[in-house]
Amino acid sequence: MIEWFSNRLRLSLFLLVGMNLIFAAALTSRAEAARFSQPPVQFVTQGKPSNDYCLGCHGQSTLSKPLSSGETLSLYIDPSSFHAGVHNQEDIACVDCHANISTFPHPDFKAATLREVSIQLYTSCQNCHAEQYNKVLDSVHQKALAGGNFNAAVCTDCHNPHQQIRITDKQTGALLDQARLEIPKTCARCHDAIYETYKDSVHGAALTTEGNLDVPTCIDCHGVHNIQDPTTARFRNDTPQLCAKCHTNAEIMDKYGVSTQVLNTYVSDFHGTTVTLFEQVSPDTPTNKPVCTDCHGVHNISKVDDPATGIAIKENLLGKCQRCHPNVTTENFTDAWMSHYVASPTHFPLVYYVNLFYKILIPAVIGGMLIFVVTDFIRRMIEARKGTRHG
Amino acid sequence: MAKKKSAPVQSRAYLRFPFSDRVQHLVMLLSFTALAVTGLVQKYPLNSVSLFIVRLWGGVENIRATHHVAATMLMLIAIYHLISMGYKVFVLRQRMTMLPSLQDIKDAWMAFTYNIGLGKSRPQMGRYTFEEKAEYWALIWGTVIMGLTGFMMWNPLATVKLLPGDFIPAAKAAHGAEALLAVLAIIVWHMYGVHLKRFNKAMWTGQLSEEEMLHEHPLELADIKAGIAGRAPSAAALRKRQMIYYPIASVLGVAMLFSVYGFVNGEQTAITTVPPQIATIPVYVPETPTPLPPTPTQVPSPTPAVAAEGTSASSTSPTWMNVGPIFAAKCLQCHGDLASGGLVLSTYADALKGGKDGPVIVPNDAANSKLFIIQSAGGHLGQLSAEELAIIKAWIEAGALEK
Repeated sequence: MIEWFSNRLRLSLFLLVGMNLIFAAALTSRAEAARFSQPPVQFVTQGKPSNDYCLGCHGQSTLSKPLSSGETLSLYIDPSSFHAGVHNQEDIACVDCHANISTFPHPDFKAATLREVSIQLYTSCQNCHAEQYNKVLDSVHQKALAGGNFNAAVCTDCHNPHQQIRITDKQTGALLDQARLEIPKTCARCHDAIYETYKDSVHGAALTTEGNLDVPTCIDCHGVHNIQDPTTARFRNDTPQLCAKCHTNAEIMDKYGVSTQVLNTYVSDFHGTTVTLFEQVSPDTPTNKPVCTDCHGVHNISKVDDPATGIAIKENLLGKCQRCHPNVTTENFTDAWMSHYVASPTHFPLVYYVNLFYKILIPAVIGGMLIFVVTDFIRRMIEARKGTRHG
Repeated sequence: MAKKKSAPVQSRAYLRFPFSDRVQHLVMLLSFTALAVTGLVQKYPLNSVSLFIVRLWGGVENIRATHHVAATMLMLIAIYHLISMGYKVFVLRQRMTMLPSLQDIKDAWMAFTYNIGLGKSRPQMGRYTFEEKAEYWALIWGTVIMGLTGFMMWNPLATVKLLPGDFIPAAKAAHGAEALLAVLAIIVWHMYGVHLKRFNKAMWTGQLSEEEMLHEHPLELADIKAGIAGRAPSAAALRKRQMIYYPIASVLGVAMLFSVYGFVNGEQTAITTVPPQIATIPVYVPETPTPLPPTPTQVPSPTPAVAAEGTSASSTSPTWMNVGPIFAAKCLQCHGDLASGGLVLSTYADALKGGKDGPVIVPNDAANSKLFIIQSAGGHLGQLSAEELAIIKAWIEAGALEK
């Protein structure tokens, strides 16, 4: 009985597999036929024209359209880089973004200049990338654009949608190392003067020549998508905290022998106390006290022991002091700032011994006072209870 | 501490602090408190109480301004104190009862041994007890330290002309630590000695009762009763000394006021500096004029060659041999294998056959040929150039011949 049943089962399984094979063979031959007959692929599911269908025309390098500005809009999409792009890899159809195009001839495209083309088209990015798109709406670029500066970057200036390869890990969303290395060059498309300065800085040189990923790229300081105006009082007052994100991280700094005491030594100094209080209490009020970048530079930050620009060299530091204190003439003024040192018998011994003196004096004096006060108090309590207070 | 009220023998009041002393105390109380509050919030800037106070004050710049005003007030009252002390000592020839002596150490020891139950009685003390002297001289010491270190921070440029630069952070360390010491001493010593032990109102009323005098300053009381304390000089002697003291005190007073003025206004570097020079850098400096893929204008196009051929053969009318390459270059992407709109321009026969809506080429009649109409309107995807279109027109007008 069991044997009979298992035989039946085996038979039905055999039939099922066999039929599938026949069906699959039929499909394959249809696919084969399709490959050899022209046009190659007309449509994919959901009635959308396939990307290859669009590339049938747009893969031709001569395809272009003259604009009324006299510029020529290339309508060519390089098929090989397009195929490698993340959008194609993730099966995003051309018409998902170019949603107004469903047939040929295409609806007329009204853009007078090449720039207008980008400005008109980038808004479709929000359909999928709403989070990033909304951040961009708060950015300095978008403000500039709203103010009529059409040079201001839009999505597609940084991410060419036809060629952009994957830049974040699909699972974690973390930025990929290779993408990090590309960031300064991306910003350089518009901010080339800054890039030229950055690439020679201690941070930029490490990134561009060694591929060092510990150093900041543009977005580590300026943010990404919701990039803010870096010339505001708020940005300035926040600078120490910004630099401290990395410079208090022993995991990174220990590798290079850089002190992680830079923030607390700054905050405990006159300048840093002021800036910190501004940052905490009135972040939008400008202060004349220096932040990290006033002495170390912005995009041109160099090693502190660099002979030409390093501020561990007193002569160079004096120049920094004089920017705010023009009457300073003597180099010993630079020692008024403890150069991020924590006072010790070797560095700033005078400060160290003053602190030590009070570390002994305060407990000694206050302790002595407390002993006297407490014993006096107890004595008076006892007297009050006994009623022996004289007089 | 319950006090037994003994029968008032004779409730006489003794003047302990004249009006001038009380005013000095009040000014000092106010300036010390202001200095302590506005100073400690700078010493501990990240403390939440500090942040609250800074906010309340409207920012750290206001805190500093208040600190400076209070410091100036304290310096002025210190000058007044010195001059009035000079008057008491040199003109009135009062006894220098505030000077510390060996007796104070003995008194302190006696008080302490009594407190811990080893002594027989409390010390009998004069006008100023050792507790009061300790507080007074601590205040003098503190004011001198705070004044010196405060000067260094307020006038760093003048300081580094005479001293090494590290005196400024050292001054800051001492200023903060001394402040802490002073505030703690006030809380422990002054609060206990003057408010907790017994609420002593003498600094406000100026007076002590006989009973209080007997308890706290029995030796002074004895001196008063014996007529030794507070003996006034003769009117003649007084006038003579005043004539000497007033000019000296005036000169000294003016000199000290001038010093304070220099202290406060000599150097503004720590308060107002040149505003930070924010580097102005060109922000928009594009790398290349148009970072776009190569445009057709940059790609060598076969069209000019065809056009050249067409023009060279202008004596004879164009044929399919002339227009075929144009269609091949510009139209076959769509009107080849894809047969957009049913139109195929690959071969002469297909071209003449037309699209799904009929022929697009009417021989000898370019104006009614759909191909020519659409291309003339412009904006077609595979847009022909004017030269190319001229050849097409000539070809149609000449009968759209194959050969």
